[in-house]
Amino acid sequence: MDYMLLRHRDINNINQIDTFLKEDGFEGFKKALKMETVDVTNEVKAAGLRGRGGAGFPAGVKWSFMDNNNWPHYVVANADESEPGTFKDREIMESNPFQFLEGIAIASYAVGANAAYVYLRGEFWEVAHFLDEKIEEMEKAGFLGENIQGSEYSLKIYTHLGAGAYICGEETALLESMEGKRGQPRVRPPFPPSEGLYNKPTVVNNVETLSSVPYIIKNGAEGYRKFGTEKSPGTKIFSLSGNVNNPGNYELPLGTTFRELIFTHGGGIPDGKSIKAIMPAGASSSLIVANDEALDTAMDYESVPNVGGDLGSASVIVVDDSVSLDWLITKTMDFFHHESCGKCTPCREGSYWMKKLTERIHSGEGTEKDVELLKDVAYQIQGKTLCALGEFSTMAVVTSIERFPEDFKI
Amino acid sequence: MLVELLRGLKTTFKMMLDKPVTIQYPEQKREVRPRYRGKHELKRYDNGLEKCIGCALCAAACPADAIFVEAGENTDEVRFSPGDRYASTYEINLLRCIYCGYCEDACPTGAIELEHEYDINFSSRLDAIADKDKMLVSLANDLSTPQETKPGTFTRSIPDMENPADY
Amino acid sequence: MTKDITLTIDGKEVSVPAGTLIPDAAKKIGIDIPVFCYHPKMEPVGMCRQCLVEIGRPAFDRTTGEAVLEEDGSPKINWGWKLETSCTNPVSEGMVVNTKSEKAVKGQNEMLEFQLLSHPLDCPVCDKGGECLLQDLTLAHGGTESRFNFDEKRHAEKKVALSDLIWLDRERCIQCGRCVRFQSEIVGEAVLGFEARGSHTQIMTTSEPGFDSAFSGNTTDICPVGALTTAQFRFGARPWEMEATASVCTECPVGCNTVLNTRRDVKTGGKVVVKRVMPRQNESVNETWICDKGRFTDFSADSRLTAPSIGWTDAIASAAQNLSAADEPIFVVDGSLPNEDLFNIKSLADEVGAKAYCYSEVGGGELTTKSGTYGKSGAGDAILVIGSDLYVDAPIFWLRAKQAVDRGATLIVATEEETRLDNFASTVVRDFAQGLEAAKEAFSKAENTVILYKGDDALAQSCADLNPTSLVGVWNDANTQGAWEMGYEAISDLDVLKGKTVYVAGKSALVASALEVAKFVVAQTAEDVQIAVSITEASGSKCVTLPSRNISESLGTFTSAERRVQLFHPAVPAEGDTLPGFVITAQVAEKMGVTLDIEAEDIFANFFDLSYADLSKTNPEEKLLIGGNCYENTQGVGVQL
Repeated sequence: MDYMLLRHRDINNINQIDTFLKEDGFEGFKKALKMETVDVTNEVKAAGLRGRGGAGFPAGVKWSFMDNNNWPHYVVANADESEPGTFKDREIMESNPFQFLEGIAIASYAVGANAAYVYLRGEFWEVAHFLDEKIEEMEKAGFLGENIQGSEYSLKIYTHLGAGAYICGEETALLESMEGKRGQPRVRPPFPPSEGLYNKPTVVNNVETLSSVPYIIKNGAEGYRKFGTEKSPGTKIFSLSGNVNNPGNYELPLGTTFRELIFTHGGGIPDGKSIKAIMPAGASSSLIVANDEALDTAMDYESVPNVGGDLGSASVIVVDDSVSLDWLITKTMDFFHHESCGKCTPCREGSYWMKKLTERIHSGEGTEKDVELLKDVAYQIQGKTLCALGEFSTMAVVTSIERFPEDFKI
Repeated sequence: MLVELLRGLKTTFKMMLDKPVTIQYPEQKREVRPRYRGKHELKRYDNGLEKCIGCALCAAACPADAIFVEAGENTDEVRFSPGDRYASTYEINLLRCIYCGYCEDACPTGAIELEHEYDINFSSRLDAIADKDKMLVSLANDLSTPQETKPGTFTRSIPDMENPADY
Repeated sequence: MTKDITLTIDGKEVSVPAGTLIPDAAKKIGIDIPVFCYHPKMEPVGMCRQCLVEIGRPAFDRTTGEAVLEEDGSPKINWGWKLETSCTNPVSEGMVVNTKSEKAVKGQNEMLEFQLLSHPLDCPVCDKGGECLLQDLTLAHGGTESRFNFDEKRHAEKKVALSDLIWLDRERCIQCGRCVRFQSEIVGEAVLGFEARGSHTQIMTTSEPGFDSAFSGNTTDICPVGALTTAQFRFGARPWEMEATASVCTECPVGCNTVLNTRRDVKTGGKVVVKRVMPRQNESVNETWICDKGRFTDFSADSRLTAPSIGWTDAIASAAQNLSAADEPIFVVDGSLPNEDLFNIKSLADEVGAKAYCYSEVGGGELTTKSGTYGKSGAGDAILVIGSDLYVDAPIFWLRAKQAVDRGATLIVATEEETRLDNFASTVVRDFAQGLEAAKEAFSKAENTVILYKGDDALAQSCADLNPTSLVGVWNDANTQGAWEMGYEAISDLDVLKGKTVYVAGKSALVASALEVAKFVVAQTAEDVQIAVSITEASGSKCVTLPSRNISESLGTFTSAERRVQLFHPAVPAEGDTLPGFVITAQVAEKMGVTLDIEAEDIFANFFDLSYADLSKTNPEEKLLIGGNCYENTQGVGVQL
């Protein structure tokens, strides 16, 4: 398969503008500029592109929600990539930046935004500087600025750095951070397509989502749908890590099975151990029991829930049988407690409580009652938080206790 | 006739020979039971600091409204109790008091306790107001308040607060 | 006109204006939804998650827009799959809310358990005990045992001085954000903020000096726990030990409604003293706020004269004698006296044909007796603030101007120096003439126009020439407006007293100034006159002092700068042998052959067409719904003239 997103693996130096232009660079953008904006949105809708940041919300549908009575519009690319086990956006931005920027440009054109932003996590300052250079090159090549390619459309793209907070990957917390306030999620509704950046309609899309857009416009929705499944079309970059021989990013069509990813591409489990659990969505996952049924499940947004998980951002962490899950959840809970923004009570207090409980259980000082209590606290948090961080912090804990009870026998 | 007389006086004679239960108070005093509720005492810790933190929960609990508390602030130079707060004024009107012990139950530090002194007397109503001087215990080692303490040692009002679930 | 929306809460129907939030709608029918971060005067944030309820909305067919009905004809209700925060949800037609279902109650209890996890066991030493929202909700929703490991409780700094006036206890803080939002939303001075994140989130102050706001005390009222407390009242008394008396603040002419909390203390030798000042709700004057000047008023004047040095009989006799003997006795007051005192003095002056002056550095008194309230100005209105730094002179007026601008009013500030109101104004000038010009232009386009001025008669006249709807003088004293209403003549210096026999009533500064120039002074004051007496001896003039009662000891009324007459009640017993000012005047008058009333209520009935009963009417619509320790106003909201 020719890579659609990780094109640098096929073509050297595609992060140089001359190479990119030679490889039909910006053809998608040029085609879009000649289309009606609503047609661009419809094409993306027809292609069924789903958000690659974890929620899987159809991108074209999100674009169509933009409030046309409230101007100006903005597009923000969510490059906060802080989910543990996720490292796909970084590769795109470092190695195939122009396709990403082209995707932003097409999206901005479709929703009528004249300013677009890339919000990068604070630790990506080198990537941000690199993107700044690429944006300048793109402008020099005539694909940004006023009256792009002789059309009436103008666009400028800016980068913006965060400051080390996982919560700023949540779209409304991201917008708050961009506005210079504390990065804490807002009350929703209203959602960003109605009131987003500075209370103006804003599309917030993941880097990978936006990077998929040029292909869709260039080759049409039908061309995109050649890959993947009917409900989950296209390709996805799977960030494979954990107990595997070949961790890394793998771009595969949606619908590929876990088995193929982990054993064929990932090279299987090292040191002759056997696979125990799969965390398909990074630290925010439910832990899936790695039996044959799960391994043969297609990795797409519909099928993974059948085995008790969510595809999420497809940051597949492989857990082998040498890992005791009571240790693993101390790690996830430490992460979530550290990253909780503290705005809402259940996540702020509950994550602290769960962290203490997991530590106690792992250290051996816990009792049966503590395990029960941990599950109770997790259920107590679910459904009551302001945003999904609190919700997802409980997934690993609950599924570990319920599906792997032998690791919690005191 | 004599028999009836003697029969009737049987109880009287028996009583004459029985040991009397009368205690010759005040030369002899009977021990009161451990939970007897007599005059109040304000307790101290072993280091001499007062246990009372001036919270006025005893005053709130008192059904006779007999207790009056004014709180003051501790400094490390002049410290009366652990923590920030102490009772600068603590008065109990012993005539109003009904010796129910609710104040003892309400006290969070175990400062106020009803002890065994029951011969409480005064010659004017004003003397019935017991203040801190009258109620604070003295320790055997003569440690008293106010004290000068090292900063940072007595930051909590209840110094060795244990897990309430352990009680 | 906002439409009324009907919804059902716990099976009961209620109709409220559109835009009302669910907790307010529930309170209207007596249902209390537990809240922490929600406050009716601030935007909801849905942070604490305490107000979780089940919400169901009527189902609509997406294509036809018709309501979907059940078999029995009732509308089909789509229930949310999870609990929602009621504070962030405005009411909608046909909404059904369950606040007491098993699921909702379980959610509320669980949220409370989370709040209590690391909250310290401070109730015995915490000033908030007895008026603490967390305590009340714990009784309603809390468990009896904590499942949290005691040793794992988080600890933090216990006594942080945010400013000289306010202490912060970081362990008690439940991170509800009410204080931060109050400062940024209502006051517009964001001097408080959060620092760190997650379970380390804490409050800090961003200003230097710390917590630099004239309204900082209000955060201690709205804080639901004892995290923010005042230094002045620290460990003062328990709320249930204190009596609450309705009063009016005396620090400036706004006339904020207050409550004086009093207790008989041993420290004071058995005297009943004012322990603290709390706000009393009056939506027309101060809403639920008071400024720090009023809150931290010092009521402990130890060095007061509590009886005339020669005894009352001789003192009254001497006063009457000297006044009768004088050719032109003069009566001069300042605006610190209540209306009853002012009226008796004016009556006496009129009866003996003497001049009655009110000393005021701010002129234009007679011009302000026609117009009225500053009101709830908003869009379409224009406000001119000229010659006065409201933040210092009348802080709550400042707050009302800022809120008027939030609602869309145009604000023009014309002051010689920078003021804190400059940031909110559309036009700021440092010259009065320019200010008046700008105002003229703005007023021509505005519906309601208000001028707040502080200056001499000339300035007042220029302001009046603009014909504003309301002309409000920012006086130096609380009841200067009352003096104008009664017809006192204004003077801004005391030269007219030179060599005369004078009846002076007011603050000790006025008495001292009078003593410097007058021949004989009858001094009626509630303040310390030691200075006065020593001046007397120095200047050789004679004086008799008639100590009167101060406001916390009296029953009386004030007229605010907006011409609102408000009643205050005595909170503490009178000191020593002091008498009410109007009684003193009546006794002197009697000796001079003039009969005056000696009951406050009777005197009041003489000059306004009102009675104390009128002033004591409350407004049930105004009842504070949720939040804060501001006292409910059950003693009356006063009457707007």
